[in-house]
Amino acid sequence: MAYTAQFYPGSTSVGINRRKQMSGNLEKLRDIPEADIVAILGHRTPGADYSSTHPPLKEMGEPDCPIRQIVAPTPGAAAGDRVRYNQFADSMYFAPSTPYWRSYWAAINCRGCDPGTLSGRQIIEARERDLDALTKVQMDSEVTDMALCSMRGCTVHGHSLRLEENGMMFDMLSRTEMGKDGNIYYVKDQVGIPLDKKINVGKPMSEAEAKKRTTIFRFDGVAIGGKVGARKYDEAVEALHHMWTLRTQWGYRPE
Amino acid sequence: MAKLHSKKLFIKALNKKFGKDFDLASQKTEYKRLGPEQSARKREFMEFSKKLEGKRGISFYNPYVHAGGIPLGQRQLVPYKLSGTEFIVEGDDLHFVNNPAMQQMWDDVRRTIIVGLDMAHEVLEKRLGKEVTPETINNYLEILNHAMPGAAVVQEHMVETHPGLVDDCNVRVFTGDDALADEIDPQYLVDINKLFPADQAEQLKAAMGKTTWQAIHIPTIVVRSCDGGTTSRWSAMQLGMTFIDAYNMAAGEAAVADLAYAAKHAAVLQMSDMLPARRARGPNNPGGLSFGFMSDMVQTSRTKPQDPVMVSLNVVAAGAMLYDQIWLGSYMSGGVGFTQYATAAYTNDVLDDFSYYAADYAVDKYGGFAKAPATVETAKDIATEATLYGIEQYESFPTLLEDHFGGSQRASVLAACSGIGAGLATGHSQIGLAGWYLSMLLHKEAWGRLGFFGYDLQDQCGPTNVFSYQSDESNPVELRGANYPNYAMNVGHQGEYAGITQSAHAGRGDAFAVNPLIKVCFANPALIFTWDDIRRGFGLGGAREFRAAGDRGLVMPAV
Repeated sequence: MAYTAQFYPGSTSVGINRRKQMSGNLEKLRDIPEADIVAILGHRTPGADYSSTHPPLKEMGEPDCPIRQIVAPTPGAAAGDRVRYNQFADSMYFAPSTPYWRSYWAAINCRGCDPGTLSGRQIIEARERDLDALTKVQMDSEVTDMALCSMRGCTVHGHSLRLEENGMMFDMLSRTEMGKDGNIYYVKDQVGIPLDKKINVGKPMSEAEAKKRTTIFRFDGVAIGGKVGARKYDEAVEALHHMWTLRTQWGYRPE
Repeated sequence: MAKLHSKKLFIKALNKKFGKDFDLASQKTEYKRLGPEQSARKREFMEFSKKLEGKRGISFYNPYVHAGGIPLGQRQLVPYKLSGTEFIVEGDDLHFVNNPAMQQMWDDVRRTIIVGLDMAHEVLEKRLGKEVTPETINNYLEILNHAMPGAAVVQEHMVETHPGLVDDCNVRVFTGDDALADEIDPQYLVDINKLFPADQAEQLKAAMGKTTWQAIHIPTIVVRSCDGGTTSRWSAMQLGMTFIDAYNMAAGEAAVADLAYAAKHAAVLQMSDMLPARRARGPNNPGGLSFGFMSDMVQTSRTKPQDPVMVSLNVVAAGAMLYDQIWLGSYMSGGVGFTQYATAAYTNDVLDDFSYYAADYAVDKYGGFAKAPATVETAKDIATEATLYGIEQYESFPTLLEDHFGGSQRASVLAACSGIGAGLATGHSQIGLAGWYLSMLLHKEAWGRLGFFGYDLQDQCGPTNVFSYQSDESNPVELRGANYPNYAMNVGHQGEYAGITQSAHAGRGDAFAVNPLIKVCFANPALIFTWDDIRRGFGLGGAREFRAAGDRGLVMPAV
């Protein structure tokens, strides 16, 4: 019988969504043109050649190495692309993903990438063409809601702030705006440099849709431990208690 | 079931910060993007910078160069309430550069050295044949309080320091011997019986035995020009000269070398250990300061023993400022960001509220402080409840979440209240530490985020060091410090660990956490900083109502 990774405990929507994001089995919600994603990333002009830091591996004459024979290089590594990044901020008000789940998704599903996790942002570094591809998956899929998530290379402040009156996450640099047509437009790239043209990334999720897809436990959504006076631990808490106890006891080595 | 703490202490602060018109529970708001002009302090900065432009001949403070011309203040810039006080100050007022009280707190630590008298007295009596009596001790202390600030004795025609620059310097003695204490001139005595509650005084005297110690505080201006490593040297030189003067000794005979060792070096307690070469600091610098010593320096345990939560919170505040803002934020890193992390632990009554909740939960469930079994199960119970309570508050009050806008701030506060609750409940600092680590993991599990890139590294691997007694990862929390291997990196931990250390001892009703000499030394009423109420001190500094020592104004032209 083939092994199926379970990834995460719990039968709540949050547990299910967390498993889904870790498994990489993401629902595609939109199709943003690759050129637009490249423009928002801001690392190169759409259509321009990829910059490289070394010649293609095939031209380099690599050493005879069993690991190299087992592990095929990613397209970006094979071509010698430089390493670039994307970074997303996700609102705590029911954004579909969270920093750790973005990292888990990347680490489990994207070869050759380096995820970094903070409280208000999550960065993924990868060879540039690999980055373009994985960013498109993120932008097109259910991990991203255009009002509650945005690509922010710097000045990321906003994940924990109250939402704007139109439901968008606060952004000091106002990189995105809501159009009169209800669509969200990127007007600046991820580090805040104005774009040549506004990029339409589609409509935001409704509040109900965001709550349905979210991976954050909140007492006004799916609570992880009930409420004061009415505690009810999610299975995630039980699993966590188990791991923490073992880790704590393992550290006691009286010999 | 007794009524649990439900005061939501932070609401008053939120109303002061955001204004009463704000709906504190609303998840949406209008961002007015008013820029730096909305803050009185930023306006002051801009005006001052403008005034200095001509004098400096080079560009200066200008918030409009920020982020391509978009200045900070796109959201509401809010003031801070010092927890447990009525002081409301601007965030800028809590940067240690702008806050003389914070500077003085650190100066008071690094200018302090504790030196024993007993061994010197033995050498005087047995080797030099001198008589030591309360009268000779009083005479010695009079001379020492002349010499220690930097004045001459024995030698003629020496340069001296201006008394107006060094008036904060003083030396007092303390002893576990009540009979001797009665004979000491009160101006030279740190009177344990008067300064401490009776039960604490008995604990302290029992721990000290009939030994006698000098609480030496050299001039602030000296350590500001040199560093903490200077303190023992400065002190030693003046001690030696004073002994020679007070006991009419020859300045050159060999026996004086015995006295010099006994009087200056044999019984010396530095406030902190020196650091290894890669961090390269001498003793009496913050990196070597243990959490137990930090706990003992803070005097709230003496003045408010009936409120163990308040006692712990004041240690958190002292530690957050010294370890985060000054040690990590300046010695080790530099810049301004560390203040933002540290203030979360001592402003706006947030940690206060969460900690009182944890304490009430523990008392209600286990029947009082230090009554719960010191087990992993207790840590699990209290830390889970405290963390879930705190998370619920952040979720219920979006302005609270906005105030602690960084995950590291929230992580510090949630884990600190968990650790303090578990420490108070069990009277065991290691159980408190276990609660801290569980809180961190639970927080991450709930919200899918924790601290900044690296902040939480030590927390995610930390549970394994709670009960470890191996090599360099060992030590009870009392003896761990800023240079403990896993703790040496990141802001938002060390002050809280100190508070957790204190919570265990406050729960037990201990007079001190690890060293009775430190506790008594910092009870010296002549210290400049407000050691019994740390947060009030920071508030006074922020409100520009605190007069620090070490000012050079006396010998400079008026501005």
